[in-house]
Amino acid sequence: MKSLITNLRSILGTDNVLTAYEDRYCYAYDATALGDKLYLPDIVVLPSSKEQVGEILKLANESNVPVIARGAGTNLAGSCIPVNGGIIVHLSRMNQILEIDKNNLLCRVQPGIAVENLQQEVEEAGLYFPPDPSNMKVSTVGGSIAQSSGGPRCFKYGTTKDYVLGLEVVLADGSIINTGGKTVKNVTGYNLTQLFVGSEGTLGIVTEATLKLIPKPETKKVLLAYFDSIDNAANAVTGIISAKIMPATLELMDKYTMETIEKFYPTGLRTDMEASLVIEVDGLKESVEIQAGQIEDICKGFNACDIRVSRDQKESDDIWFARRSAFGAVAKLGPNVITEDAVVPRDKIPEMVREIRRISEKYNITACIMGHAGDGNIHPNFSLDLRNKEEVERFEKAVDELFDAALKLGGTLSGEHGIGMTKSKYLKDALDERSIELMKSLKQVFDPKGILNPGKIF
Amino acid sequence: MKQLKDYSEDIYKCTKCGLCQSVCPVFEVTGLETAVSRGKFTLLNGILTGKIKFSKNISKYLDLCLGCKACFDFCPSGINAEEIIIAARNLNFNLNGISFLKKLIITNFDSKLNLNLLKFALSIYKNSELIKLTDLIANKIHFLKQYVYVFNSQVREHIQYKKLLPSKPQSKQKIVYFPGCINNYINQSVKNSVKMVLEKNGFEVLIPDFSCCGMPARSAGDFNTFKKQAEKNLALIDDDTDFILTDCASCGSVWEYYTDILDGDLKEKAQKILPKAVNINKFLAGIDLDIPKNVKLDLNVTYHDPCHLKRFQNVYIEPREILKKIPGINLTEMKDADKCCGASGTFCIVNPDISRKISRRKAENILAAKADAVATGCPSCKIGLAQGLVQTDADKPIYQPVELLAKLYLIE
Repeated sequence: MKSLITNLRSILGTDNVLTAYEDRYCYAYDATALGDKLYLPDIVVLPSSKEQVGEILKLANESNVPVIARGAGTNLAGSCIPVNGGIIVHLSRMNQILEIDKNNLLCRVQPGIAVENLQQEVEEAGLYFPPDPSNMKVSTVGGSIAQSSGGPRCFKYGTTKDYVLGLEVVLADGSIINTGGKTVKNVTGYNLTQLFVGSEGTLGIVTEATLKLIPKPETKKVLLAYFDSIDNAANAVTGIISAKIMPATLELMDKYTMETIEKFYPTGLRTDMEASLVIEVDGLKESVEIQAGQIEDICKGFNACDIRVSRDQKESDDIWFARRSAFGAVAKLGPNVITEDAVVPRDKIPEMVREIRRISEKYNITACIMGHAGDGNIHPNFSLDLRNKEEVERFEKAVDELFDAALKLGGTLSGEHGIGMTKSKYLKDALDERSIELMKSLKQVFDPKGILNPGKIF
Repeated sequence: MKQLKDYSEDIYKCTKCGLCQSVCPVFEVTGLETAVSRGKFTLLNGILTGKIKFSKNISKYLDLCLGCKACFDFCPSGINAEEIIIAARNLNFNLNGISFLKKLIITNFDSKLNLNLLKFALSIYKNSELIKLTDLIANKIHFLKQYVYVFNSQVREHIQYKKLLPSKPQSKQKIVYFPGCINNYINQSVKNSVKMVLEKNGFEVLIPDFSCCGMPARSAGDFNTFKKQAEKNLALIDDDTDFILTDCASCGSVWEYYTDILDGDLKEKAQKILPKAVNINKFLAGIDLDIPKNVKLDLNVTYHDPCHLKRFQNVYIEPREILKKIPGINLTEMKDADKCCGASGTFCIVNPDISRKISRRKAENILAAKADAVATGCPSCKIGLAQGLVQTDADKPIYQPVELLAKLYLIE
């Protein structure tokens, strides 16, 4: 390890190789609630170029030392946790936008740029990068690619995977490859680009991404519709979609979520209602007006008790403020909050919500149910105290049952957070044996020594 | 005053969502997890649960906080990092003592003799040809410029005191002005302006011989010195005082903490005084301010929000209102006007490289706003603004709104 540190220092400079215990202590976590367990990395490095990342991986591969790439450390599946120690490659210094190409509707970025910063820059050019993970103020493009992140708008626009045209990736042995390119159409050989998307840093480290952009929608409008039952809210979602309307978002909040938001961030949500939908429509001004009217009618047809339609940007922001405060509100409810990420076919949402209610009551765990109803991606936010061993045991059983329920309803383990270390034990329930074998063989081809983010996915 | 252990539940509550990274100026220029509140909470939680020792490294990371409170606005769990880090620095002070540099600063701020000597030396420097000479040298010798420019911009005075005749009927309110060390000993321009503006508007101003407000000591975790300074200052304020006015954003923030640090009768007094301690901009925005109609200043100004004014005292509309009232001033907002200037008291001395990088970004935003001058509400921010501007080779005067008002009154 000593000679590895010396070599890393000569490549990166002493200041960019951290080995003090206290430094490593601050890279032993990401946003995943892990309780008391401590997974210390041995070294933290902060590279500033692809060449440096290449050198780091070459050295690590020669010394058989694990390497874990890290963006903002905001993922919720433990994907940045150094379970076997090793080197954390913190990409915070590689955070530049290299190019915004208006003619080809694309941009080239370094992995450490925060998603929201990228969005702001491209929107100034009249363009749009739709993926909007809830932590996008800090979560990075590199992390979004590694976890194939989504967000509310992905119902209409698709997730990160739908916007990656090409990648520059450093492989386990330190060699650098370029996949895809600057064209939207590309069937030249296997689609390696998409293989890296969602691979959670187990196949390589992305050092540059070419991303597709779209024209920025001219205008948007937000509706907040209340329902007397989750079933009616979910049926309204199906109603909207079957009427061939594609809102940008279809967000669901249950009664307890609304009560919790009102408790900590009062915005005037109607807590006497069982469920609400936050629906955003965007596009040309005329079509937005028409669609908002149609959605209002459909919601009324499913017994919507009260519908608020934003008349200006401020009213839109107010409605979104309520929805975006949900995580913070649950965070204030108890010492720890854990967000799960099950996904089911969208017509199974009422059943899934009922299952989550049943399971959380059975194990006496506080759950606020919210999520992206449009694509069946439900995020129950559990409030608990991880210092309470007995509560943790109950919670673990509840999560087992939760994923079991999602799979039985034809859904799967993760919509947008990834598998990481927290869900790997369920993988065999979600995929067939042969698929897992194939994935493992692929991993073997890319990373024969298994140095890249070990202990994740499988 | 709360101890670190009193915050253990708050510290544990950090969900590690990492949102603090998006607003932390220190993280922006370092990219280090240890620079941001999430990292610090993890270390402090380790200390409180007995998993790690309070080492020198940890005290170094605790110094990597500007105390700007930007992350508090943003934290989903509502954790007040500024207070917690100060409590941690206090524990560090008790366990490991204080660095030589910080001790030197606090001791000097605590000694009126030293401060008066400094004032005397500076008055010779300012009022002789010396300041012009150093300007000249700095322009010839490039590496000296960054220091000399910052130094000279701190001491050079925009406004000299002149007794102005009141344009309003004499008020019966008892007004005490708390100038703070910079205005008292280093640069009297703002103090002159406050006096002139208040007198012109019919207020008589009392200026007792106050000590340092105590913010440097509080910030370093030296609660004993802080408490002594609080006691001394409170003793100089009569019960029938109507307002204690401050223009220094840091001196204005301290009154809330006097209620924490003191006990018994003094605590009660501090609580009674707290609502009377008002920032000068807020005070002036609340009165029928005299605005001469026959003169104007012709100046494009952009305004920088001091952290201690906006996030500690919720004063950010009023300084802008005053600027807009001055005929001829055109106020242009800069990007991230409320982001820390990078100086933050002793931070710029303990972490000079990081401080300069933060200041440079501030200066770039100032330049992008295409203003002729920068206005701000704190003498300490002048350091950050100047050390940023010098890096971009721009030379822009830095004013407090009250100085521009005084300037207007002088040309009337």
